[in-house]
Amino acid sequence: MRAGSGLAGWRLSHLPHSIFAFFLVFLLASLWVPRFFSPGNLSTLLLQASILIILSIGMSLVLIAGGIDLSMGGVLSMCGVIMALCLRDGVHVFAAILIGLASGGLFGLLNGLCVTRMKVPAFIATFGSMGIAQSIANTLSGKRTIYWESGSHSSVLDFLGGNIIRVEFGPEASMTFYIPFLVLLTVVVVGCIIFLFKKTVLGSYAFAIGENEETARLCGIATRRWTILLYMISGMLASLAALLVLIRTNSMQPTSGDGLEFQAVVAAVLGGNALEGGKGSLYGAIFGALTLYVVRNSLTLKGIDTSTTMIVIGAVLVGGMVLNELAARHERGLSRKG
Amino acid sequence: MTPLLRFQRITKIFPGVKALDDVSLDLRAGEVHVIVGENGAGKSTLMKILSGVYAPDGGELILKGEIIRRNSPRISEQMGIAMIYQELTLIPELSVADNIFLGHEIRKGFLVNRAAMEERTESLLASIGVQVPPRTLLKNLSIANQQMIEITKALSKNARIIVFDEPTSSLTSAEIAELFRIIAALREKGVGMFYISHRLEEIFEIGDRVTIMRDGKRINTSAIAETGMDQVVEGIAGRRIENVYNRSSTEKGDILLDVRDLSGAAFKNVSLRVRSGEIVGLAGLVGSGRSEVARAAFGIDPCTGGEVFARGEKMPRNNPQALSRKGIAFLPEDRKREGLALSLPIRENAVISALHRLNPGGIIRRRKERSVVRDYVDKLEISTPTVEKLANFLSGGTQQKVVLAKWLITKAHTFIFDEPTRGIDIGSKSSIYSLMDELTRQGAGILMISSELPEVLGMSDRVYVMAQGRLAGELSREEADHYAVIQLAFSRPEATA
Repeated sequence: MRAGSGLAGWRLSHLPHSIFAFFLVFLLASLWVPRFFSPGNLSTLLLQASILIILSIGMSLVLIAGGIDLSMGGVLSMCGVIMALCLRDGVHVFAAILIGLASGGLFGLLNGLCVTRMKVPAFIATFGSMGIAQSIANTLSGKRTIYWESGSHSSVLDFLGGNIIRVEFGPEASMTFYIPFLVLLTVVVVGCIIFLFKKTVLGSYAFAIGENEETARLCGIATRRWTILLYMISGMLASLAALLVLIRTNSMQPTSGDGLEFQAVVAAVLGGNALEGGKGSLYGAIFGALTLYVVRNSLTLKGIDTSTTMIVIGAVLVGGMVLNELAARHERGLSRKG
Repeated sequence: MTPLLRFQRITKIFPGVKALDDVSLDLRAGEVHVIVGENGAGKSTLMKILSGVYAPDGGELILKGEIIRRNSPRISEQMGIAMIYQELTLIPELSVADNIFLGHEIRKGFLVNRAAMEERTESLLASIGVQVPPRTLLKNLSIANQQMIEITKALSKNARIIVFDEPTSSLTSAEIAELFRIIAALREKGVGMFYISHRLEEIFEIGDRVTIMRDGKRINTSAIAETGMDQVVEGIAGRRIENVYNRSSTEKGDILLDVRDLSGAAFKNVSLRVRSGEIVGLAGLVGSGRSEVARAAFGIDPCTGGEVFARGEKMPRNNPQALSRKGIAFLPEDRKREGLALSLPIRENAVISALHRLNPGGIIRRRKERSVVRDYVDKLEISTPTVEKLANFLSGGTQQKVVLAKWLITKAHTFIFDEPTRGIDIGSKSSIYSLMDELTRQGAGILMISSELPEVLGMSDRVYVMAQGRLAGELSREEADHYAVIQLAFSRPEATA
C-alpha cells in the first residue's frame, strides 16, 4: 500500500509536477541565497516571471494541440519594435498597442495557415517565422534600442508601469514589496485564458486535436480553424509579452525576445506539457515559469555569470523531462495495480 | 416498407484496386445487419462511404427514400449515422462527459454547460445500464467501459444508424454479453445497425441478416435463421474450409519455460510450464492478469516475486534480452505498436533481432539478409511480391507472420503468443494455426494467451485458466471444454491460494 491511497480519486501526483519543483527550488533558494527572500527581490521576481508566464501559457495551448510555436521570441521582438516605433512617432498609445497585438495575431494566423493548409510541420513553420519576425524587428529598428519622448501618452504608460500595491518594510529598496500593474495585467489575462480553456470548448478541442486530429475531425470539430485560432492566441500573447517588456524597460531593444521561446518550452515542459500533444496543464506551465525564474534569479544574486544560466536552464529542461517520465511510469505502475 | 438505408450499385476505385464493385445492400430499422468478409473484401470501404470519409465513384446512397448527394463525416453525423470503430476514438485526457459531447457540446451562450452534460451523460449511461461517474477521466477506464462510452456517444447524437466495426475484438465473454444486451436494446428502439466481425459465432448470436462480401463484391445476403455456419465460411473464403483448428498430436519433451510463483502488480503466485512440442493455452477474462503474467515472465513489466527458468536456467529479472538470447520469443498483442516497425520493410523487421548473428563484425550484409528473409517468407507463405515491402502495407495476418519470422530467425524455441489472431481474417487465421502446429511438431513450445475460447480449446494441449490475478486451474485437452474454462474463469481463486 502506498501512503495517501486512502484518498480515492485524488492524489498529490495528479497535481502538475512543476508545483512541487517550484516549492522545492523556492525553499532551497530562500535557505541558501542571501537576499533572495526579501520583499524587494520577490517583487522583482514576480515582474520578471510575468513575461515568461504569458509566453508559456501560449506555448502550452499550442503544445496541448500537438503543435509548437517557436516564433514567440521573434514575434515578441517584432511587436515590441513596432509598438515602440509607433510611440516614438506620436501614434496614440492605445492605437500603438492595438497595432502591436494585431501584428502578433497576424503572425499567429500565418503560422496556423502554414501548419494546417500547407501541412508544414509546426516545428519548421514556426522556426521559419521566428527568423522572419526577428529580421523585421532588426530592420525596422536598425538594430538599435528605441526610445521615445515623453508626450501625451506618458500618463498612460506611467500608469501601466506603476504599482498597485506598495508596502515598505524598511528604508532600503530591497525591503519594499510592491505589485506592479503589469503583474495584475498578467493575472487578468492568464485568468481569462484559463477561463476560456476550462469553460468553453477551447480546452476540450485542444486536447482532442493534440491527441488525434483525425478523431477530432470525425467528431465534427473544425480542426483547422481551431488550430489556427490557437496559433493566433499564441501570437497575441507574444505581443502582449512585448508590451510588458516595453513598459518595464521604458524602451525597446530589438533583441528582447531572443531565446524566450526556448524558455517558454522549458516552462511548459516542466509543467507537464508533452511535445507529442494531447496532454498538459496551463497551471503547470505557470509554475514551470516561476520555477525557472526562481533559478535564474538565485543565480544572478549569487553573482554567477549570465552566460552560465543557459547551462542551468538546459539542465532544468532535461531534468523536467526526466521528472515527467518518472511520474508517468509511477502512474502506469499504480493503474496496473487497480 | 422502405428500408432505412440503401446502398445502390456503389462502386469505389482506388489506384490499382476496385475496392467496391457494384454493391447494393439495404438496412432496415431495428435490424442488426452483419457484414462478413476477409480483410480487404470491401467492408470498411463501404462503411466509410456511409460515413462520408470516401465519396463513391459510382452509385448512390439512399437514406429513407432520399438520395444523399453530398456527404462528409459531419453531414452523415447530422443525418444520424454513427460509427463505432475498431480503434476507439476517444480522448484519454478528457472526462467521460466531455468525450461523449465532444464536437456537439451543450452550451450556455458561448460557455460549455458542464452540469447539463454530466446530467445527460448519467441518464444516457443509465439507459444502457452502465455505471461510470461522468467526471472520470477516460484514461482511467477499462477498454470495455471505453467502448460503452463510445456507444453512449452515438446515442447522445440520436443516431438512427450505428455501424459496429469489430466491436468485440478487445472484450471478454462477459463484456461481449453486455454489449449484446445493449445492441438488443438499441434494436428495440428501432436503430438500424451494421455489424462487422471476424468472430463468426457472434454473428449467429446477434445478427438478423448477414451479407457476405468478397473482393469488393456482395456475394450473398440472407436471413441468419436460414443460414448455416458452413455457408458463411464458404462464402467468405470462396472455398470450403473443413476445420480451422488442425492440431496434430506431438511428442512432449523437456520443460522449456518454467515460471514459478511469479507475482506482480496485477497477479500473484502464478506458476506455469511449457514443454517442448506443446501448445499451452492461457485463458481468462480480460483483466484477470493473463497478459500481465506473460509480460512479466518475459521481463517487460516488473515483477515483485517468483522466478523464471528457461531450459532449466534461472533468468535475471526485468531483462527481456536475456530471455530472447535463451530462445524465448514474445509476440505481443499490439503488433503494430510493439511487434513491428511499420515504416521499415519486411526484411529489416525480420532481421532486427538477429543482426549480430547475421552480420558478424557489425557490417550489414544486405544480400545475405535478403536471402535469409526470403527463405522464411517462403516457409511461412507470407504473401508479398518482395521482402522490401513496408510492414505498414501488410494485412494483419501477414504482419503476424513477419513478427513470427523475426523470432524464427533468432532460432527461438519457445513462443509466447498474446492474442495471436486478433483482427486477423479467417483465411490467415487458419494458416497461423497451421504454423503453430508445425512449430510444435519441430519441438518448439508455445504459450498462447487468447480471449477466443474456440481458439484456446481447438489448439491447446493444456489450458491454464486465470481469474482475478490468480491461477484458477489447469485443464488437460480432454478436460477442457467451454463449460469447464468458463467456470474457472468466473471462479474466485483467492480462497484456495
